[in-house]
This record gives sequence, C-alpha cells and structure tokens, in this order.
Amino acid sequence: MPLQEFQVVGRHLPTEADPTPKIYRMRIFAPNEVVAKSRFWYFLRQLKKVKKASGEIIGVNVINEKKPLKVKNFGIWLRYDSRSGTHNMYKEFRELSRTDAVKALYQDMAARHRARFRSIHILRVVEIEKTDDIRRPYIRQLLTPNLKFPLPHRVTKVRSTFVANRPTTF
Amino acid sequence: MARSKDIVPGVGRLSRSQVFARRGLYKGLKKSEKPTSAEAASTKEVTVGGANNGGNRLVPTQKASRFYPAEDVHQPKKSRKTPKPASLRSSITPGTVLILLAGRFRGKRVVFLKQLESGLLLVTGPYKVNGVPLRRVNQAYVIATSTKLELGDFKVDEKLNDAYFAKPASKGKSSAEEEFFAEGKPKAKETFPESKAADQKAVDSAVVAAVKKTEYLSKYLRATFGLSKGSFPHQLAF
Amino acid sequence: MPATESNFKRFVEVGRVVLLKAGPQAGKIAVIAEIIDHNRAIIDGPTTGVPRQSFPYRHLTLIPLRLTKLPRAAGTGAVKKQIEAEGIVEKWEKSSFAQKRAAVEKRRSLTDFQRFVVMVAKKQRTDRVNKAVRAAKKA
Repeated sequence: MPLQEFQVVGRHLPTEADPTPKIYRMRIFAPNEVVAKSRFWYFLRQLKKVKKASGEIIGVNVINEKKPLKVKNFGIWLRYDSRSGTHNMYKEFRELSRTDAVKALYQDMAARHRARFRSIHILRVVEIEKTDDIRRPYIRQLLTPNLKFPLPHRVTKVRSTFVANRPTTF
Repeated sequence: MARSKDIVPGVGRLSRSQVFARRGLYKGLKKSEKPTSAEAASTKEVTVGGANNGGNRLVPTQKASRFYPAEDVHQPKKSRKTPKPASLRSSITPGTVLILLAGRFRGKRVVFLKQLESGLLLVTGPYKVNGVPLRRVNQAYVIATSTKLELGDFKVDEKLNDAYFAKPASKGKSSAEEEFFAEGKPKAKETFPESKAADQKAVDSAVVAAVKKTEYLSKYLRATFGLSKGSFPHQLAF
Repeated sequence: MPATESNFKRFVEVGRVVLLKAGPQAGKIAVIAEIIDHNRAIIDGPTTGVPRQSFPYRHLTLIPLRLTKLPRAAGTGAVKKQIEAEGIVEKWEKSSFAQKRAAVEKRRSLTDFQRFVVMVAKKQRTDRVNKAVRAAKKA
C-alpha cells in the first residue's frame, strides 16, 4: 500500500447562527485522496460536532517530502485498539520520508500486534533532529559514529544441485 | 431400416453411415440396371375450358411441394483468404549466415542468397565448403546469425525460382513389386542433371570468393552448430 | 568499535564500494553514503551513472575497496570528489574481480562466429602446449 500524506481542509457548512464556521486542517496518511477525505471526516466527527452531511471539504493537497534523500529519524505517537483495549504508543523509525515511516509503522503494528489500518490512529509524526532525543535503542544503535558491520552468511544461488566447491558464505 | 431398430420412434439405433456399412451396398455393384426409359416430360399440355383462359396451358406433371424444407442445408462458407508469403526477418539479408534447424542438413551453417516468391529462403552451403546444395528452406526453421558475407553486387540468376526446385513429374508407373523382382539389379541411379550442377558452380564461385576473404570463415561454415551443456539458445548471442 | 579483530574483511560502512546486483544499474559500482538500517543504505555513484538512492544489501555485493575519508551523509558532490581523488573506478577496473566479470560479459556477448574462432584458438593453444610437453619429456 503506497501511502501519501494529504492536507485536508474542511469546515461545517455556514448557517444563520454561524455564518463563518471554523476551518479545520488535518495531515492525513492515506493511500489515496478518497480515503484521505473519508479519514478526515472520521477524525473530525470524533473531535467536533461536524459530520460529512453538514460539512464541506475545502481542499485536499498532497504533501511531498522536502528532502527525500536524507535519512531522518522519526518519532511517531499512535493510538491503537488491541483485542482487549485501547493503547497509546510511541515508536521510532529511521527512514527517508514521513510516509515511509508511517508505512513502516503500519507494517510493524501488523506484525507485532496484529493491528490493522482501521484500528490505528496516527497522532503525531515528528522528525527527531537531535541524537540525544532518540529514546529507542534500536534506532540509537544505528547512530554510533564510525558504524560498521559485516554481512554474514551470504548464500549465493547455484543453478545446479551439485557443485564441486563449497560455497563461501562470509 | 430393418437393421436399425428404433430406439424411440423416429430415431434409429444406427447412424446413417453405420446402416450404409451394414447393408454392404458398396461391396458389389448391383447389376440391376433399369431399362433406360425415356425421360418423362416435366410438363404437359392441358386444355383448359373457359373463354378467357387461352385454351391450352403448360402444367408440371409433378406438383411442386407445398412446403419449404424445414431444415436449412448448410452451405460451407467460401474463404477468400489466401496465404501470403512470409515477410523476411530483418536480421536476414543476402549474405547472412544461417543455421539450419530442421531437415536433412540440420545444424549446418549456410549462406542466404534471396527470398523466393513463395516466401522460402534460397540458400547455398556453398556446396564446395559444407556439402549443402542450392536449396530452399523455411524461414521458421532457421537461426539468423549476425555474421554476414560481403557478396557485393552479386545477383542470383532469375531462373532459380520455385519452379526450378519443383519435383519433376514422375514418368510412368513404377511399381514397388516390379522393382523388387528386378533380378537383384540395383536401381539405376539417376544422374544429377549437369545444368543444375553448373548453376550450383556459378552461384558458389561468387560465394566462395566472399568466404575466402575472412579467416576461419570457411572452417566455420564447414562446422555444424550444436548446443553443449549449460548453453541455452535463448541466452546466446548469434 | 570492538577492540577484537574481526574475521570479516568487508563491512557495511560509510565509504564502502559496492557492486549492484539488481535493478537498472545492475553491474555498476557505487559507494555507501549513509547507512539507513540493517537492511538498506543510501548509495551514490556520480561517476558510474548510479543515482543517489536507497538500496537493500540483499542486492549489493561488498567490494574490498573503500573511500577512506568520506564523512557520513556526504552529498553527491563530495562523494564524486572523493571517488576521483582516490581513483576508485580505476582501481576497480584493474582488480581481478572486475576483469573476470568483464571477461565473462565479453564471452557472453560473442556472436556465433566469434565463439567458433575462440574455439579454434583454444584448440591451437592446447595443441602447442601438448607438443611442448612432449618435447620436454623426450629431452
């Protein structure tokens, strides 16, 4: 599922009582514009007394990554419904873009917690600029100066069943 | 039919062809030629009464059926398609070395001369080099290599066309039996027509001259093509 | 860095030269500019026609060459300067690894006639060798 980040802007329809309703803006990660708008209404409904029938979407834009070739560390706050309850969580990812980080998050949540897209709310995605602010050891270990590691057990594919020489795997 | 008992009224146990086989009418001629009666006239004249009816009228002896046939007889559709000669592969040009894949000379590397009217390729070994005579081959059973001979402005004689290669009509009957009992005489071998041998020489002289220009090329043409272990034709460059 | 010496000779590290095994640039070399994680790195090959991109180690081969002075997350310009200063591409082309690959590549691209000529040449070589061996044995 290739994700994109959308900026969705919407508001309640103007009424006599409130001719200039408040405008709401959300950054939403979704596979396409249709899902993005749907998610916008889903979240807004929970937060404010606005729903799709009584509101309108003013604009939808795609937000692209500014520097897609720079490696960044992202911290993601999320909330998800497990089989027994709702949990808040904080996770860190080392990726090239915000959307990549969110994609990795969905994969990770599906793998470790069997949580699906529908049961995950992404609360905040933040790029961590200072190394000291990184909390998780699995990301911190990648930031050691002069990092190097070998690639052990590299198995090469051989076409035939029998070969004269043992493969070298290091 | 007595032989074809009904399964249900109207439907026989045997098909029409099975009945035909059982009746055995094909076995012998039934000599019961009817005396050729003069063909009955299809119409006859009838006198008709009434003042305005003209007196006489031609009336068919047999009335036409009152009904149209219930089942339509299928008329096979005539195809207007005609096979077109195959268009020449772009990798094959006069002088290209081809690898034959089928037939008596499979595996041989030969030189392409031109495409004939029928779409077949005219090739030569040359005969002097690898024993392949002037010959027609189907393009589908050929690998075109990227090796090309410089034939210059050599033109193949116009008489080398499809008719040139056609089999001569067999003369008279030659039964296998007669041949077998021909008192152990070996069959007289037909000599290769001298004119054809001359044609071969004429064409080959130009081709062989071109072959000689490149080192190893005549050796290459003499060798046959084959695949060995681990070599796959789709991975090879020709 | 651990004090103990490793038995491994090639490491994933900034400046390591890698050979691409897949993708449109397969067969070209590039340099690791930054390590993303245990599976991917950012590679860059400004002089070999490999655009800067994230690439999985799965489709890379580490090569015994490396840029010694490349800082972490160096830009394409800096990488290019370093590659040219250390003459990495020439070193690679001179290495037996690259030459063997080039030879295999060349053999693969031979036409039918060229393959035949190679076969003849090989036969001539064995013939000469055998003759020489026989002569040496007699003497």
